Amino acid sequence: MITVRDLYKEYRVTERGRGLGGTLKALFKQEEKIIKAVNGLDFYVGKGEIVGFIGPNGSGKSTTIKMMTGILAPTSGEVLIDGRNITRYRKEAVRDIGVVFGQRTQLNWDLRLEESFELLRHIYRIEKKDYRETLEVMDSILGVGELLNKPVRQMSLGQRVKGDLTAAMLHSPKVLFLDEPTIGLDVGSKYALRKFIKEINAIKGTTVILTTHDLGDIQELCERLIIINGGVMMEDGNLSEIVERIAPYRTLAVEYYDAVVPEHAKAEILSVSDNVVRYKFMKADMTAAELIRDLSELYPIKDVGIEEAGIDDIIRIAYEMKK
Amino acid sequence: MKKIGSAFAYYLGVTMCNIKMALLTIVEYPSNILGWVISNPIQFLLGFATIKFVVEQFGGINGWSYGQLAFLYGISVLSHAFSMIFFVQGWFMGFFVIEGEFDRFLTRPLSVLYQFFFTNINVFGFTDLIPGILVFLYGCAKTGFSFTASNMVGIMALLIGATLIRGGIYILLGTTSFWTKSANDFGQFVQEIFDKTTMYPLSMYPEAMQLILTFLIPIGWVSFYPVSELMGIETAFSAGGMGVWITLGVGIVTMIAAGLVFRIGLRRYESAGN
Amino acid sequence: MFDGALDKYLFVYKTRIIRSFTYKFEVYGNILMQVIIMITTAFFWKALFGSETFGNGITADSMLTYTVMSSVLSVLFTTGVERRMQQSVEKGSIAIDMMRPVNVFGVFLAEDLGSLTALLVQNLLPILLLGSLLIQVPVIASPSAIPLFAVSLVLSMGINWLMAAIFGMWAFTAISMDALFQAKKHLIRLLSGSIIPIWFFPKWLADILNALPFVYIYQLPLDIYIGSATDEEIYSRILLQLVWALVLAALFCLLSKRVLKKVLVQGG
Repeated sequence: MITVRDLYKEYRVTERGRGLGGTLKALFKQEEKIIKAVNGLDFYVGKGEIVGFIGPNGSGKSTTIKMMTGILAPTSGEVLIDGRNITRYRKEAVRDIGVVFGQRTQLNWDLRLEESFELLRHIYRIEKKDYRETLEVMDSILGVGELLNKPVRQMSLGQRVKGDLTAAMLHSPKVLFLDEPTIGLDVGSKYALRKFIKEINAIKGTTVILTTHDLGDIQELCERLIIINGGVMMEDGNLSEIVERIAPYRTLAVEYYDAVVPEHAKAEILSVSDNVVRYKFMKADMTAAELIRDLSELYPIKDVGIEEAGIDDIIRIAYEMKK
Repeated sequence: MKKIGSAFAYYLGVTMCNIKMALLTIVEYPSNILGWVISNPIQFLLGFATIKFVVEQFGGINGWSYGQLAFLYGISVLSHAFSMIFFVQGWFMGFFVIEGEFDRFLTRPLSVLYQFFFTNINVFGFTDLIPGILVFLYGCAKTGFSFTASNMVGIMALLIGATLIRGGIYILLGTTSFWTKSANDFGQFVQEIFDKTTMYPLSMYPEAMQLILTFLIPIGWVSFYPVSELMGIETAFSAGGMGVWITLGVGIVTMIAAGLVFRIGLRRYESAGN
Repeated sequence: MFDGALDKYLFVYKTRIIRSFTYKFEVYGNILMQVIIMITTAFFWKALFGSETFGNGITADSMLTYTVMSSVLSVLFTTGVERRMQQSVEKGSIAIDMMRPVNVFGVFLAEDLGSLTALLVQNLLPILLLGSLLIQVPVIASPSAIPLFAVSLVLSMGINWLMAAIFGMWAFTAISMDALFQAKKHLIRLLSGSIIPIWFFPKWLADILNALPFVYIYQLPLDIYIGSATDEEIYSRILLQLVWALVLAALFCLLSKRVLKKVLVQGG
């Protein structure tokens, strides 16, 4: 559905000196610097996938999304939407995509929501019948029907995002791009949005690409994660695979009856407090059951707890890794 | 041919929808209407006062009578008004470039330039039309310009061409923002220059400037050359009654050139927040 | 203590100078545009006058000086106070602006003076140079007029700023400011003599305009500069200019107190 091939994007930025002297100097001469925002990305997204696109601020993920949606022209490389180069055949290719950028709206601020939809209906040449059908589906998922007559400027952020999502789906795109859709939303709206993504994916088979900083979004929605940092891909795979790769260990906390610190050849002791000892061990080396069995042969065990590496740890580690 | 026809119908449908939305938006802010209805015509008082109080005392400029100047001025204001309705967005292109406002247009299956101008079509421009029509009719009366069928068609071709020339120049200037990365607010100045060079005879300027304003920046074709011909005043470019059609041609060429430069600029577009 | 208070305004003043220098293209672009406007106006007068002399002894040459100096003065009459007020009302930051332990209008004035200082080097100098080079060196009619010109210019700048500040207070009335800005700009251009000296107008119109404050922005200093009025006329008009400056200052004080009170009551 989407092919990203050998994608690069460079920006030229002009630097300005500090203070009055620097500003005066900049009047006559400006220094240019090249910043490589995206530095060779290659991946493929299949039909019906939900892909989480994550990375820290300034990692190049926004730039990548903007190239994938035809907003930015790549310095080199290409993005194909359903086989069509989106830079060269923008007008044709964007018919297949819907875009929602969390902080911006494509709705007319001053008018009723339905007026904006009416314009989109003309722009995408949507038949009245199809339009009403799509609107019904969207109403059943998001409850957008009651908002149609409300001016956009009077809407809450949650309602506005619902409006934007509907607007992006009116022409039934094959791919939906969401750039930080849950940013600033309350719990109820977040829930509605995640439900929406799952349902359009299930009902219409829409491919969804989203960027987010919200771990809840990732955990609930993304079968596949693409982690980028410094403009290069750090990880690509489903969540459990990435966990397996980045954090192939678990932590076992064991509470003994006495203040003892038994050791194990294949486990590293992380911390000791009162009667609790925390062991870190590689999943490949042994199972938690084996470790418990070995330890209980040394001392009687009162209680145990197993901790998986948290998703935020995974992402933090992935961000910090340098290739 | 059929394909072009259906594309035209498509763009027309979208345009009608945009105009409807623009009208609805205006109704949302009634206090603005009064402001523009009053303030826009005021700006033409200065030009009219100049012709009425200053030029009249001297009898004319460079062989142009007072009535002929009113006619020239009327054409200039009318083409200004049309360019305000359709192309005033060009003045704010820098803002769109810096703030990343083109994002939305780029993700839609329509020409970006079309969306840029027509999503924000400026219905208030009609407030400039009123003084334009008044001064033009005044000039017609003073010079005895008759509304024959061929004159009417000529005036229409002239106004379309003049509007396209102005619009094309707005685009070309606005497009510089793709390179400079700053929101250059040039609108007011450009309007002043257009005022000075289209409301008065170009022949009062030195030859070098006339050449520049004829060939390099085609401002001379907005009003001076075609109106000279309509008024029967000899210029270097008396084209045997074809003046208004040359204006139309120049307008189309300017607009096409502007569109091409815009396309090149758009490749340098960086959106916002990077 | 007085020094400390002034420091704050000095800081605002300095930051504004730096900010004004920031945009290169805008700087050059603005100068270029202003010079083009100046030149086109000059050619208009040349074509119009030819070798004729107008009633009050004005020739094409005096009109050229008038044009160059009008462009130069327009740089000195650049104000940002109205825009600043509009923006801070629209963004709702006016309450914060006013809560600071400084007079908010003092800050606006310091900002404008900062911008102005930058503009002196950036715009005024090039415009004066290019005007002198391409049109005519604007020589003052007589050296004895210099002090009078200076006095009336300072008063002009005062009147211009006060009118801008008073006008900017419209921003508190929820009326669309953009249209009003345009209306004000065009009225000033028409009524102040910045483009056409008002002695071209019919007498009845000129008399009305002389009673309004606008002519004391451009027309009076320019008349002194090109020597188109007698000394007695000039003295009496400078007196009127002073009266207008005081009237506007009083009006400004009255209105600004009312505006500040209104903001504090509403809480922004």
